[in-house]
Amino acid sequence: MNVWKHLRSWEGFLGLVLLLTIAINAFNSDAFLSIDNQINLFSLSIEKVIIALIMAFIIINAEIDLSVASMMGLSACALGWLVDSGVGMPMALALCLIIGMAGGLFNGFWITFMKLPSLVVTLAMLIGFRGLARVLVEDRSIRVFPKWFEDLGQHPILGPFPLAVLIFFLLLLVAVGVLRFTGFGRYVYVIGINQDMARYSGIHVTRVKLILFTASGIISALAGILFAARLGSVRGDMGLGFELDIITMVLLGGVSIFGGSGSIFGVILSILIVLYLRNGMSLSNITGHLQTGVIGMLLIFSAMVPNLKSYWESLQARSS
Amino acid sequence: MNALQGLRPEKLRELVLLLLIVAVLVFFSSMIENYLNARLFNRVSASVALMAVLAIGQTMVVLTRNIDLSVGSIVGFTAYFVGQQLSQNNEMHPVLAIVMAVGVGALMGGINGVLVAYCRIPSIIVTLGTMALYRTLLVEYSDAQTVLTVNLPRWLLNLPSLNVFSIDRLHLRVMVLGMIAVVVLFQILLRYTSFGRKLYAIGSNPEAARMAGFANQRIVLSAFLLCGALAGLTGFMFLARFGNITVVAGIGFELKSVAAVVVGGVNIFGGSGSVVGAFLGAALIDLLENSLIRWLQISEFWRDALLGLLILTSVATDSVIMKRFQGYWARKQAQAVPETQER
Amino acid sequence: MTKKFLAMAAAALLASSGLVMAHTIAKKGMKADLVLMPKFLGILVFDQANQGAQEAHRELQNPGKLEFLGPTPENSVAGQIEILTTATTQGQDGIMISNNAGDQIAPAAKAARSKGMTVVTWDSPIPSAEGEQLFIAQVDFNETGTVMADMALNIIGAGGGEFAVLSASPDAANQNAWIAAMKEALKNPKYSAIKLVDVVYGDDQSEKSYNQALALVDKYPNLQLIMAPTTVGIAAAAKAMQDEGLCDKVKTSGLGLPAEMVSYTMNGCAPEFALWSFVDLGYLSYYATYLIATGQIEGIAGETFKAGRMGYYTIEKDPTRAEGLRVLMGPFTVYDQSNVEAASK
Repeated sequence: MNVWKHLRSWEGFLGLVLLLTIAINAFNSDAFLSIDNQINLFSLSIEKVIIALIMAFIIINAEIDLSVASMMGLSACALGWLVDSGVGMPMALALCLIIGMAGGLFNGFWITFMKLPSLVVTLAMLIGFRGLARVLVEDRSIRVFPKWFEDLGQHPILGPFPLAVLIFFLLLLVAVGVLRFTGFGRYVYVIGINQDMARYSGIHVTRVKLILFTASGIISALAGILFAARLGSVRGDMGLGFELDIITMVLLGGVSIFGGSGSIFGVILSILIVLYLRNGMSLSNITGHLQTGVIGMLLIFSAMVPNLKSYWESLQARSS
Repeated sequence: MNALQGLRPEKLRELVLLLLIVAVLVFFSSMIENYLNARLFNRVSASVALMAVLAIGQTMVVLTRNIDLSVGSIVGFTAYFVGQQLSQNNEMHPVLAIVMAVGVGALMGGINGVLVAYCRIPSIIVTLGTMALYRTLLVEYSDAQTVLTVNLPRWLLNLPSLNVFSIDRLHLRVMVLGMIAVVVLFQILLRYTSFGRKLYAIGSNPEAARMAGFANQRIVLSAFLLCGALAGLTGFMFLARFGNITVVAGIGFELKSVAAVVVGGVNIFGGSGSVVGAFLGAALIDLLENSLIRWLQISEFWRDALLGLLILTSVATDSVIMKRFQGYWARKQAQAVPETQER
Repeated sequence: MTKKFLAMAAAALLASSGLVMAHTIAKKGMKADLVLMPKFLGILVFDQANQGAQEAHRELQNPGKLEFLGPTPENSVAGQIEILTTATTQGQDGIMISNNAGDQIAPAAKAARSKGMTVVTWDSPIPSAEGEQLFIAQVDFNETGTVMADMALNIIGAGGGEFAVLSASPDAANQNAWIAAMKEALKNPKYSAIKLVDVVYGDDQSEKSYNQALALVDKYPNLQLIMAPTTVGIAAAAKAMQDEGLCDKVKTSGLGLPAEMVSYTMNGCAPEFALWSFVDLGYLSYYATYLIATGQIEGIAGETFKAGRMGYYTIEKDPTRAEGLRVLMGPFTVYDQSNVEAASK
């Protein structure tokens, strides 16, 4: 099928870029391949990577969620505020996840029942959730977490892997399992291809979307908790701007912005590429602006490649 | 007859927006003392001027079922570039400075347009990429230097306070007049030229448009060129208003322009919306922001939370009202058909 | 006999204490790979700090490298943590941080320390001092409060009046410390005539700061002064007052760069403001970090060292924080019409 060929060419291209990146990095710096560095480069962006998993689902579903980073910040600030107000850790953690769920449901409500475009709703909530985070934390930085919480966030617990990385692996398995092997996963694709057709086929579109946005809220909240643990303290501006990085990772992975195609495998490849590129450039002391510029060029270029390939093929077909 | 009925929903949307603006004004005048006066008009109009011009540029692109996330970086770069050129030649003619800003912006928008229209890359990907690239360009070009007000020519620094005319304490600033000119110009462009009609056509059904023989690629490219040009103009206004330009100029403007466009009733999937709507959307958001800042009862920190909620409710209200009326107009049209058939 | 003995003992004692109190003069040519990390790149003041650090680097003839690395402004907090973590991986000998991440950088700083890296902060410290060996303070943070209060009193005058603060981001540790210090200072009856009515945040963005300045004027009709302890805020507020023709009624002051403020000072919108030399701050930070990284000083309270052309500095306990050591650089420079033009060249 055409769709599979398209996917293969994108992911093949990504695979090549990844190998190239690893080779250049290893050549440039001895430190690159060390276990320490590998764990670090993942840990530094683990929250974004976790959210990218659910974002892939949402974009395949032909929707978008711009509020994920603000929800991450909100849940982290809520955790700090709750603990600071005397609430015990287990209760505070549970409440944060509930806040995530509520936020996701809130988004889902406006998208499915009020039928507003998800771009609009989540853009408004990008501002709204961030505002709520600020209301809780104001101009303070809250540092009240018990040592065990910070240890979980900052130090390895199983071999060299910190908790956040382990949670990511778990969520990865769930994501691949659901997307490729369950009916729900198929519905996500079908709705992404054509929402009305899906509805006529008897798929409960509203339920699927509500589930996706609620999941997005809960996972963003979870990422916020992990973020708070890693940093040891919370501030009102945590995670500001992360949503664009997350979306870049998903789009670079070959997930079409129009919905209906893409795979977790592609997203994983793109995550690796982005993280390795950034790490390699950091190790070579290339500054943040240039890094962002390179990622930007890579994004555009990788979108061009499948088009170039089909353009080339159509040229050949015409000349023959 | 059909064309008129096609216009109706958009006129209605603009009316709803006006009502929302009035509602906001009424609400806040009851909450804040000394609110509804000439000074509010002066403040808000000066601040809206920038965002409205940018929102109109974004509208061009969104109508064709695309998006331009790089506008913030374009604004920043053109503001810096023109500022630097003016710092080095203070004698440069004002019109030349504006043309330079618009030109540089159009060039950057053109790059977006080529990648979207001819290389067939989705606009969100292109403009996410160019947002980063143009910002990097600004950082590298500026080499951490700031454009300083002390080096800028007098006329530029005085521009924000220059009035076209004043009635008592109500001032109509030159930049506000400029914005109004842009609104009128582009409203005419969209409504009364074939180019405008083609923009709508491509946005609502690209395939049908292509089959009808429209040069889709050229038109989409033009949309991005115009968006870039208006972003460049916004950059010039930014320079005039703030003077000191650093590498963070314009960060966040892309989301603000999309919010204004969306609140203004422009369909994010393309095909419908108006320039006046986008202008009203920008005005409503700016009015909300400026009113919330001045509301003494609300702490600094509640502002953004309320703003997000207000944007959501205004879009929802708009959507609910539009759906009601669309049903009404559909029925009216069905009733009108037998009459035309008799003729 | 006893007197002579006592005298000799006293002399010996003095001599030995003189040895203990020796000032460390930096030995040149020792190798140390150092990183200078500003809050973010693209801002003039941090480039000036780099200038100072490079000057010190050349003077000390350090065969190692001095890297100037910083994050983008949109990604400052996460970016700083990443650069610090990467520097640790690379095995750098020392890093000088102008901290924008509050205590969130503490875990990464502690990890760096455990690998033997020297971690010194300048301009903005790690509030809890965890992971930080030393803070090079441009000025005493408490004194900043007094300087701002003094400028406010000077501008508003004995007749009294209202003023407001336009700060940067609500998370900025240094601004928050200065504002807190100013509020403390204002309790002194000397300042009873002036009243602080509000603190608002401009997020170090021109548009926000500009709009906030105008909103302040609208909210508080009797406002006489906007105090902005941030170079972006003070410039934006001054422009706003100038654009609206309010400079006679509402003055602007705070911390600003002479180059950016010169036109506003000369036309009276910002009659007085203060700052310190970022070049000197970078220079001093480099010297301190070089000395600690090469083991010439330990970085404990009481040590004194000579920082090249700037003279002698002593490490002391930081009185403005619960924990932490600092080296206090030096005085404020208050700029007004008499000296701003010369300084802006």
